[in-house]
Amino acid sequence: MITGLDMDRRNLLKWSAIVPLAAAAPYTALAAVPQGVDALVIDRRHWPAGTPTPLAGLAAPQLFTIDGDVTQLWYQTLDPIWRKPGFVLGGVTGSDALFVLEVLAGDRGRRVTQRRVLDPVVAGLQPVSWIIAPHHPSVKG
Amino acid sequence: MAVLPPDLDAPGFARFLEELRGAVGADWVWSSEDDLGPYRDSFSPVWDTAEERHASAAVAPAEVEQVQAVVRIASKYSVPLFPISTGKNFGYGGPSPNVTGSVVLDLKRLNRVLEVDDRRNFALVEPGVSYFDLYRHITERGLKVMIDCPDPGWGSPIGNSLERGIGYTMPFFRDHYGASCGMEVVLPNGELMRTGMGALPGAKTWQEYRYGFGPDPAGLFAQGNFGVVTKMGFRLMPMPEHYRTGLITVPRRRDFVKLVDHVNYLSDAGLIGEAVYSSPLAPLMAQPDFLALATKLGGPADGDMDAAASAAGLPSWQVDLQFFGPEATTAASWDYAKDRILSDIPGARALDGDHFPLPATEQQMLNTTQPYRSAIRRFGALGVPSLGMWKIVSDDGHVGFFPVLPRSGEAVFEMQRVLGDALKEFPVRPFFNATTTPLYWHSFAFQMVYAPSVKRSDPDHNAVVHASMKKLVAVAAEHGWGDYRAAPIYQDDVAGTYSFNNHALRRFQEQMKDAIDPEGILAPGRGGVWPRRFRK
Ligand SMILES: Cc1cc2nc3c(=O)[nH]c(=O)nc-3n(C[C@H](O)[C@H](O)[C@H](O)COP(=O)(O)OP(=O)(O)OC[C@H]3O[C@@H](n4cnc5c(N)ncnc54)[C@H](O)[C@@H]3O)c2cc1C
Repeated sequence: MITGLDMDRRNLLKWSAIVPLAAAAPYTALAAVPQGVDALVIDRRHWPAGTPTPLAGLAAPQLFTIDGDVTQLWYQTLDPIWRKPGFVLGGVTGSDALFVLEVLAGDRGRRVTQRRVLDPVVAGLQPVSWIIAPHHPSVKG
Repeated sequence: MAVLPPDLDAPGFARFLEELRGAVGADWVWSSEDDLGPYRDSFSPVWDTAEERHASAAVAPAEVEQVQAVVRIASKYSVPLFPISTGKNFGYGGPSPNVTGSVVLDLKRLNRVLEVDDRRNFALVEPGVSYFDLYRHITERGLKVMIDCPDPGWGSPIGNSLERGIGYTMPFFRDHYGASCGMEVVLPNGELMRTGMGALPGAKTWQEYRYGFGPDPAGLFAQGNFGVVTKMGFRLMPMPEHYRTGLITVPRRRDFVKLVDHVNYLSDAGLIGEAVYSSPLAPLMAQPDFLALATKLGGPADGDMDAAASAAGLPSWQVDLQFFGPEATTAASWDYAKDRILSDIPGARALDGDHFPLPATEQQMLNTTQPYRSAIRRFGALGVPSLGMWKIVSDDGHVGFFPVLPRSGEAVFEMQRVLGDALKEFPVRPFFNATTTPLYWHSFAFQMVYAPSVKRSDPDHNAVVHASMKKLVAVAAEHGWGDYRAAPIYQDDVAGTYSFNNHALRRFQEQMKDAIDPEGILAPGRGGVWPRRFRK
């Protein structure tokens, strides 16, 4: 179960380092991550095979990883959380995974409040950084 | 793009919205462009063109009485409503209506699983219940039933079955409308009706005997526009003890004819789940010579295809078979299938596949241990909802044309040739070619698939897609093949092909529509059925 988290700057930088986008892009993405984000999602497809992941260095419950398919993340974690008020989620994922999350979030009164398309497209995969936050009065914290 | 309902001015629309707010609460009525974005069809090939259909508002009631109130208000103002359950009808129009200016009646808040009985094997649900919700309800309670779900699992038993959608387990269950039993419906006058045994006060068999007595109108609500379904029952498969797979290959092109006949027998006798046909020759389409052969105008000669198969050392066809039941029964059924087919088709081969007790482990679900290359997706096959199929979505989505054809090898060859030739004028990939296999999704008929992708940034590409869809609908109909389901922008084209005796079916439906929904407020145009008010 995720609780509100306070991701510090060191962790944010670590998070950015495992997303192999153009040098400046992850930082640009992170600059868009506002205070008060409760958890982050990263898409493993954005880092090259064989690259060691420094995930262990991050506070585990605060960071979710997917391989493009959001089924498990959503079913196990987000669906129960999104049924309650509050919870701001940030991420850098493929645009396909974001589309699915955005539709699911919409069902629970949430919106993509920030969206930044990142370079480069790797293997046909468009990375996007985003924030999904409560929008409807029924889920505003 | 803000739009108004047909025949209503802005002040009238404002009064209408105010009444809706009074009925369901101000937070559950939306009319701003921003709020209506999710009610557009994000897969639309006519995105941002004059042909795109836009809602004027959306309303989300929380209970049946509120649905009735919304219907009565819509009737008072003559505003068309477009009911959706979970609104995930991607590829067939998404949540967008047939008529611009309609108000989407979003039933997502009616989301209770009312009953699951694992002794009599049924469920009763509300429209906002998704396959994930139903699966969660069943697994959390350890109930011994398996659901049959379509992809992706975020759709709903009610929305999907009202589209006559399909899944992937046993024939009784994977035709989702066919597996339904009992409906509760809000009629266009706001009255509540129950079908089948639900009409008999005190009956305990609403989800067991679908007919009740007299004419059964339930079919009118599938792909129809005669009411808003607020409850629906579904038969569920008792959780099988064991799951078994096996693969049959046949060497020659014409062997497909006998193979299909045998598999029809196995399926209609209740021995197998969905049979998944494929051609091991399909990867050869990457080679220009083979591509030219398999897409040859008028179709290739059998001998040429057989020569290509033997040069590549590949069989022409294969079918993945699946068995559900007690372990010994699945083994006996597989032995029977092997004997039956191998003794009749020279050169046919059988490969034993995975088998294991249910429920499956995570590794078994991922299908990593099959000793051959299998076309089965275990999540669908074992009734576990997933979103993983989103990986097949390319560009900005797709539209779908799924013509129904007879379950015979000859019919498959004919459709490959006729629709392959019909598509040649369009710069799209050869969906229909000499390696294309049928889908055995519906229980007693085949379908083939044309699902070209759409690109919002490329209107020329979308125009090609749009024109090719219309052409295929027409050409297929000339050969007796009809689409089973269509997006609103194609529903008139498809309905127009079901034209026996000067469109007697459509005229009958229109007469009923005019009698039951004189204001034409419920999903006008859905299924190609237009009320008098909107008929041209
Ligand atoms: C990658 C991919 C794979 C897919 N695979 C499958 C598949 O395996 N099988 C399949 O069948 N489909 C499939 N689809 C199509 C579609 O996603 C599903 O059919 C989905 O279940 C339909 O959406 P829904 O269940 O939310 O229904 P909804 O969108 O809620 O409803 C569908 C339509 O039914 C009518 N309707 C809905 N509820 C009511 C009501 N309560 N009263 C009256 N009318 C109502 C409306 O006209 C509505 O537009 C696939 C789509 C994609 C993109």
